[in-house]
Amino acid sequence: MITRQEMQKAAEFMKKHVSADDFSFTVTGAEDLLTRFAQNGITQHITGNKLNVNLNVAFDNKTGEASTNNLDEDALKYLIKTAESIAKLNQPDPEFISSEPAHDLPDVENYSQNTADLTVEKIVDDILKCVKNAEGKSAKLSGISEKRLNNSMLTTKNGFKGFDQFTSFSHSMTMKKEGVETKVAKSVKDHATFNMDKLIAQLNSQFDSLSNPVPMEKGRIPVILRPAAVLNWLFYLIWTFERRSADEGHTPYTDQIGKQFFGKDFSFYSTLDDPELNASKFVNGGIPAENIDWIRNGVIKNMRSDRYYANLKSHKALSPYNIVVDGGDSSEAEMMKMVKRGVIVNNFWYIRPIDRKVGEWTGLTRDGVLYFEDGKIQKSVTNFRWNEILHDATKRILAMGPVVQQEYYAKIPTLLIDDFNFVDVTTF
Amino acid sequence: MDFLTLAMDTAKSLGADYADIRIQKSSTEMIYLRNLSLKNTSLNELYGYGIRVFKNGAWGFAHNNVFTADAVNETVKKAFAIALESRRVKYEDGLVLAHERGYIDSYKTPYCLDPFDVPLGEKVEMMMEVNKTMLNFAEIKLAVFMLECRKDEKFFASTLGSRLDIQTLYIEPTITATAIAEGDSQSRTYSHGGQAKGWEWVQGLKLTDRAVQVAEEAIMKVHAGSLGAEERKTILLDPNHMALTMHESVGHPTELDRVLGWEADFAGISFATPEKLGNFQYGSEIVNFVANNTLEGGLATAGYDDDGVPNQKWYIIKDGILNEYGNTRATAPLIDLKMSRGCNRATNYFDFPINRIPNLYLEPGKEPLTPQELIADTEDGVYIEGRGSFSIDQHRVNFQFGGDMFWEIKNGKKVRPLKKILYKSNNPEFWNSVDAICDDRFFQTFGVTNCGKGQPGQRGRMTHGGALARFRKIRVGGSQ
Repeated sequence: MITRQEMQKAAEFMKKHVSADDFSFTVTGAEDLLTRFAQNGITQHITGNKLNVNLNVAFDNKTGEASTNNLDEDALKYLIKTAESIAKLNQPDPEFISSEPAHDLPDVENYSQNTADLTVEKIVDDILKCVKNAEGKSAKLSGISEKRLNNSMLTTKNGFKGFDQFTSFSHSMTMKKEGVETKVAKSVKDHATFNMDKLIAQLNSQFDSLSNPVPMEKGRIPVILRPAAVLNWLFYLIWTFERRSADEGHTPYTDQIGKQFFGKDFSFYSTLDDPELNASKFVNGGIPAENIDWIRNGVIKNMRSDRYYANLKSHKALSPYNIVVDGGDSSEAEMMKMVKRGVIVNNFWYIRPIDRKVGEWTGLTRDGVLYFEDGKIQKSVTNFRWNEILHDATKRILAMGPVVQQEYYAKIPTLLIDDFNFVDVTTF
Repeated sequence: MDFLTLAMDTAKSLGADYADIRIQKSSTEMIYLRNLSLKNTSLNELYGYGIRVFKNGAWGFAHNNVFTADAVNETVKKAFAIALESRRVKYEDGLVLAHERGYIDSYKTPYCLDPFDVPLGEKVEMMMEVNKTMLNFAEIKLAVFMLECRKDEKFFASTLGSRLDIQTLYIEPTITATAIAEGDSQSRTYSHGGQAKGWEWVQGLKLTDRAVQVAEEAIMKVHAGSLGAEERKTILLDPNHMALTMHESVGHPTELDRVLGWEADFAGISFATPEKLGNFQYGSEIVNFVANNTLEGGLATAGYDDDGVPNQKWYIIKDGILNEYGNTRATAPLIDLKMSRGCNRATNYFDFPINRIPNLYLEPGKEPLTPQELIADTEDGVYIEGRGSFSIDQHRVNFQFGGDMFWEIKNGKKVRPLKKILYKSNNPEFWNSVDAICDDRFFQTFGVTNCGKGQPGQRGRMTHGGALARFRKIRVGGSQ
């Protein structure tokens, strides 16, 4: 993988040779090892180093950008020539904003030597262990195991210089036997904190709880959303949770900053202070990352915003760099006693906007649905489609479970939500 | 010695049962214009090679961007080493590759004007003009123009003796106008998706004229009414809309890797399992789906796939019956097929080729029928244009679609625009409800350039097509 020294050398070359009035230069390196398995066998196995070298230049407010995957001198010269040619030929951009100056960056450690040292033999050994577990249940297993090392450097004409490196290890697996199909997934920064036996136990627990799913009537039903499902819909919330779109009137968040727009129990933030979570040192082209409350007790505190719009409206340019949703202390067993009946959902699938202005989304359940009544699981049921206004759904949170690490960038609780809008039943 | 030969010789000397190398240079030009602000004007180039090694029924794949003999040899060795690791968790008795022979050939997308040769200023000027045209309408608050041009130059060699030189190209212009009024925001888009054509195609689109129509319809839509609660109605789907429905409900379910469970952990499996081949009534008798990777202008048309298998044409659904799949050299033998249909494609040099949807289209109706005649023959229905919300379950059966523009049809006439329309159906019910398809005079193709599949995720491309078609008794209603 490309080294920090090689990145610095390239950045020095840019400082010396770019003739444009302004520039931002980014180098990102990655080393991947990804093993994909299906039907109890490995079907795909990939290794290699990737490189992205990107130069964004401006002559006054005329901009141009070029990128390549080569860092030798000829490639850097080509990059400068291409980006500068584009800028010279381009029309002025009325929304141009100059590059970031030097900043003090937070001290965040995103790199784990344990993950970097992980060998292909160990990864395959663990997959074999998972497959043997599935074979013990006469089931088929599919999934991925991936080790990633990344480093990146951003340098600007105005003096910003930032370097970051991170590691991650991800493992997911779906176990399937006839009508029963369920998945678990987890990723971590430090492979030493990854417990495969625990993940296998979770998979087995989900698998054993599901059998012969039967159809159930659609309708508004209380739902216990496990962390994977909550995280899945949060991605889509974040997609539209953007300041400019809201101000322009394209989303439901118009004129809602500072107001209680979500449920009072719903809080969502990004943090630099949790050593288990990856956290970028800088975002948005060189803005130092900081602890950010996005939604606190239902009140919108901040929204995603780019540098141009933030400067125009005199607020901060922000992006979520990791995701934490506040939880509570209710167990699933306690949640099942809080409502007469309901369903437990392991995960969601194929979430898409129906109406971006209203904030209505659709999606399906996946990886197993359980029906409970009078505090006890009664049966496994077939999947549902839901059409929901997700911010309204947070106003119907009845209870929250403890926060758990779901991915290397996310900690999420289980939520009990009343009257979730299931609009259709699927055929399996 | 050239790198292709070196890689193949090294693979053979290590004892590979099969190996191939794909040297690929991909150039992508992006221009993104938002309300007269150029948010991105960029040229991206990726150049490197990926080497696949097959040993004892298992794969290893390694990629690199360093072009030296040592680097090529090291990459082959890495691929070979992880293939040996892969076989420790072997798929059944090990994968078998369908028979194929070597080819020495070349392919180039036919075009007159290379979009990369068209001056940037000319492109930006045209885009600005389109943007301004939309923003001249007071209720249009957001005008977006995205232009993407991509060129791929590939050299492929395999231990079967293949030497292929393939150059493909596509252009994708997309314009969108968003109107804001009455507390609502509604958008309308004009796009044919990507097309494997030269810049002369874009010049012929007359996008400034289209911009007027797009802006007017966005405004019409923001003031439109909706339908009430869901009920069963007739829907007429234009070919642009159907390009999406057929992609989701026919293309993906008939990828053989998905059928075999290879995507189970991510994008899901398929209801269209092998025992249904030749006997499952997927659609009504007038529903014929053709896979055609030789289609002129098709995004999957490249002469050969990334297994080195020649492009072909075949029926996926014939007279309504599930007929065949899209498959690859590794998946075809698993249902006892002797030859691959050539659907293995990778996006970039560092991507492992995966089973992809071919160019796939609904054959036009055999009887003469115009869109006007079809509308006139519809008493009560909804006409849906363009692509909107789409969501289908992980077995590719139950779905809900929206659209980009909607019209109510009463007594054979379009009577009013609608908005916020959704329809729900399941796969066999939907395609079996087709009772009329306009004839080949009205056949159009639409490209998909962002088909997400695989882990790590890849962006696939293919072309779909059809003529206006009618579907009976589908659940249609307004969103909440």
